Amino acid sequence: MKKIMEGSIAVAHVTALCRPGVIAAYPITPSTHIPEELSRIQPQYGYEFVDVESELSAISALIGASAAGSRTFTATSSQGLLLMHEALHNAAGMRLPLVMAVANRAVSAPINIWNDWQDSLSQRDTGWIQLYCKNNQETVDTLIQAFKIAEASLIPTMVCFDGFFLTHEISPLEIPSQEEVDSFLPKFSPASSLDIGNPLTFGAFVSPEHYQGLKEMQQEDLLSSVKTIKEVAAEFEKKFKRKQFPFVEEYCTEDADYLFATMGSLAENAERAVDSLREKKEKVGLLRIKCFRPFPGKEIAGVLEGRKGIAVIEKDLSLGNEGILANEIKAALCGVSEKKKPSLLDVICGLGGKDVPLKVIANLYQDLKKNRCGTIWV
Amino acid sequence: MEKELYFKGHKSCPGCGPAIAIRNLLAGLGEDIIVSLATGCMEVTSTKYPNSTWNVPLIHSLFENTPAVASGVSRALKHEKKKGVSVCVGGDGGIYDIGFGALSGAMERNEDMVCICYDNECYANCLSRSTLIMTEHGIKKIMEIKEGDKIYAFNQKTYRPILKKCTGVFDNGEKPVFELETSHHSIKATSNHPFLILKRNGRGKQNTLIWKTLAKINIGDEVVVLKNLEIAESFRFKNIRLSKKGDYKVNKINFISIPEKSSPELMEYLGMYVGDGWCRIKKAETGFALPEKSKERKRLIWLHSRIFKNRVSRTDSNYLYINSVNLARFIDSMGFGHGAKNKTIPEWVFTIPKEEKKAFVRGLVSTDGYKVENSFRFVSSSRDLLNRLRLLLQTMNYRVGKIHWRKTKKGTKIVYRNLLEDTEGGYICFSEKKEWNIKKYPSQYTYQNFLIRNQYFEMEKVKYKKLIGTEPTLDLRVEGEHNFIADGIVVHNTGVQRSGATPFLASTTTSPAEVGGKHEWKKNVAFIATAHAVPYSATASIGFLPDFEKKLKKAKAMTGFRFIVVHAPCFLSWRFPNNQTVGVARSAVECGLWNLFEIENGLFKFTYSPAELKPVEPYLKLQGRYKHISAEGTNEIQEHAKRVREELKKLEESKINFQYFL
Repeated sequence: MKKIMEGSIAVAHVTALCRPGVIAAYPITPSTHIPEELSRIQPQYGYEFVDVESELSAISALIGASAAGSRTFTATSSQGLLLMHEALHNAAGMRLPLVMAVANRAVSAPINIWNDWQDSLSQRDTGWIQLYCKNNQETVDTLIQAFKIAEASLIPTMVCFDGFFLTHEISPLEIPSQEEVDSFLPKFSPASSLDIGNPLTFGAFVSPEHYQGLKEMQQEDLLSSVKTIKEVAAEFEKKFKRKQFPFVEEYCTEDADYLFATMGSLAENAERAVDSLREKKEKVGLLRIKCFRPFPGKEIAGVLEGRKGIAVIEKDLSLGNEGILANEIKAALCGVSEKKKPSLLDVICGLGGKDVPLKVIANLYQDLKKNRCGTIWV
Repeated sequence: MEKELYFKGHKSCPGCGPAIAIRNLLAGLGEDIIVSLATGCMEVTSTKYPNSTWNVPLIHSLFENTPAVASGVSRALKHEKKKGVSVCVGGDGGIYDIGFGALSGAMERNEDMVCICYDNECYANCLSRSTLIMTEHGIKKIMEIKEGDKIYAFNQKTYRPILKKCTGVFDNGEKPVFELETSHHSIKATSNHPFLILKRNGRGKQNTLIWKTLAKINIGDEVVVLKNLEIAESFRFKNIRLSKKGDYKVNKINFISIPEKSSPELMEYLGMYVGDGWCRIKKAETGFALPEKSKERKRLIWLHSRIFKNRVSRTDSNYLYINSVNLARFIDSMGFGHGAKNKTIPEWVFTIPKEEKKAFVRGLVSTDGYKVENSFRFVSSSRDLLNRLRLLLQTMNYRVGKIHWRKTKKGTKIVYRNLLEDTEGGYICFSEKKEWNIKKYPSQYTYQNFLIRNQYFEMEKVKYKKLIGTEPTLDLRVEGEHNFIADGIVVHNTGVQRSGATPFLASTTTSPAEVGGKHEWKKNVAFIATAHAVPYSATASIGFLPDFEKKLKKAKAMTGFRFIVVHAPCFLSWRFPNNQTVGVARSAVECGLWNLFEIENGLFKFTYSPAELKPVEPYLKLQGRYKHISAEGTNEIQEHAKRVREELKKLEESKINFQYFL
């Protein structure tokens, strides 16, 4: 049924429909509406809500709860996510299927509360699955899938959506009913959990002869989680009759010589820019990356091979190098022959909530046609 | 104890206080609990993958988040309607200090859990297992040292070597090990192991020696090393069984006179044996590979007849043989080892007078060594032999270079021949030290070498240190001096870093005796818990186990946040003998430095109160960490103990309820 809802409120309601056992959260702009709404509707759904004293304690409580056999959820942003950093590695290493909504926000200093992707992209090496959504419909759909992906692969999952642009956007959304969610998402029943009938030790001390082997297994499982992500998306699509893009989304790419590549809500702007250029009969298209970890390098290389040029438009930066997304895409293009390799322009924009109007994106096409390379700031 | 919940096989030290606390808390709480454990000594020693000491469900996440993890477990148990009590266990670091935020949050929310803090203030450190230690009977591998052995230590007042009893040997498990190298010494140790370093206090001021951990040592720092150790007594050989005519299968015997004790001539003979000799008891044969017409052969024949009153039996162009079962037995009993790769220098060689040592080295050099200008070079394929020779030379005031070791691959051409196997070999260079003319340039030399006038020790600059990987490690405890001589370098036997729970004036490596120990009083965490109005907060001690058990049972039966802090001495860092752990815990309570009480629903009550407080002095005297404190310091601690007791008594009588202070 279609409802008009704010992004954060929709995330809270859909999370409650997924029947979580324990939710722990600490408020931080722009994700605050999520825990607020979750504590308001708690009596209706009966999950445990822990008002912790910090984000580190929020994720730590989830680690304990998940190990004890509960489905868990938290939401955070920016500095809060950074405070969790140590525990992010820990949860992924312990193979606990936590689910977290990240309302993407810039990172201090200088302090700033508006949107870019620096917070969650800084956590890319922690071993979590990261999914970036372009609108709120996709956010709520992805959230339901995230529980299933995390629990099937035993890998914690982050659902990232842009702070303010999506968290505070009010739009008509398709919210599934409790029955629909129940029929898609089975009860959480982990193979092993903290149980007094079966004393197990979680988080043991591992010496050099075993550590690397265990990390290798974790990496293997994270890489092969692409299969789970794909299957879950296909199942969701069949059940809810909404098109899903598990890894990448292509827009007007069939005959395009030049492509824009981006993530998150910026993709909707880029689509409109492509539309306006197409009206002028320019052969241009858009590649949107939805799944950032595990990185779908093969799919991306497949789309980009043989194009004349691409512009990677991104709201993040690996300080001391270049844009994170451009960096990853370059690595994915490594196997493409020189002749078929497109020129790559890295566009850093929108940091700390700086506006990225349609005109700016459309103008990038002029640079693309000149096959410009390197990094530019707009 | 009906069922053992803390299995055997954990890696903590014999006499470990925290391990006693953990075992008893599990026994007291029973098996229907789920434990969240903080990173710390009890975690590292008990959960080494793929084994676990815990017979209850356990989760270890991080150092600072354990109370939060336990909150999560507690909430999940409630939501999933599972049985069990959530229990949070951590040391004073994980609960008092780094984990304090998470603890305060969990207490404020009054989470339904039992939180137990073992209060010990302990971080241990250790040496690599291959380290050689200077003992009364010469040099020994650290693995072979037993409690009660006498070890050489550095007397920090007289700057002379002194014999001290070893009071404990500890297995510290596998740890990253660094190699530290000075001009003539090298040692492997963990990064937190303390060394004795020269502290230059500036012009016109007396320089001092201080302890510094390996991690903080910089290239160029000067460490105290052993120069000369003269125990100076010829070694008396043990009686060995000698064959005589008429024994089973003995038809004739080559008479030989066996010396009773070591002498320069015998040592030179043995040096030549280590270089080029072999012996086989079954064949009744001792032999030397010394070519005809060589100076060395002549010398050996002369030495042999002089020492053993006997003649060499047989010679050919390359070898000479002595057919005597008794000589073979005698040489075998001395422990020089067999075969070129396994030859070694036995520990007793380190105890003989310098003259005899010199003769031994002369013998070695004449066979497998050669002279390059003023220095000697000794070649061997036995690494152990080179290692020990290097240490031996260091005790004789020689300058010694490092061991040059190389491997030669199969097939390499050496003098027209291909090598049939991979081989390894090495050499060391050494030379006698020139005496410095101290009288002529006293201040300059003293500046260059702080211990220049010292007969036994000197300073050497650190040349480099690097990580060489993970190795099994051990540590020693030495009575009195708390140091020992390892690989010729003076090292401290144990280290401990300051925490919020470290008591007033106690010394640690980060609040050392040089600055007077810790200047602050211990954090009163039981009262901090009470300030959160938790339903139950108590102190306990491993010296009063029935009291501890009672509190555990009471806490388990209640709901809400229940807090117990249990005093668990760590003998390694408090520096007392490891068979007195429980006794030390008891005397802490009896002298009033640890009070046993509980605060139930806001009301304070002593659970054990000695009729009269014992003086604190014997308690402080027992522990090395208080060794530096003055009479005033002792007095201050004594006054503190009395004052705290009086105030607590007033509190008990007043019936003040802490729950109403919110």
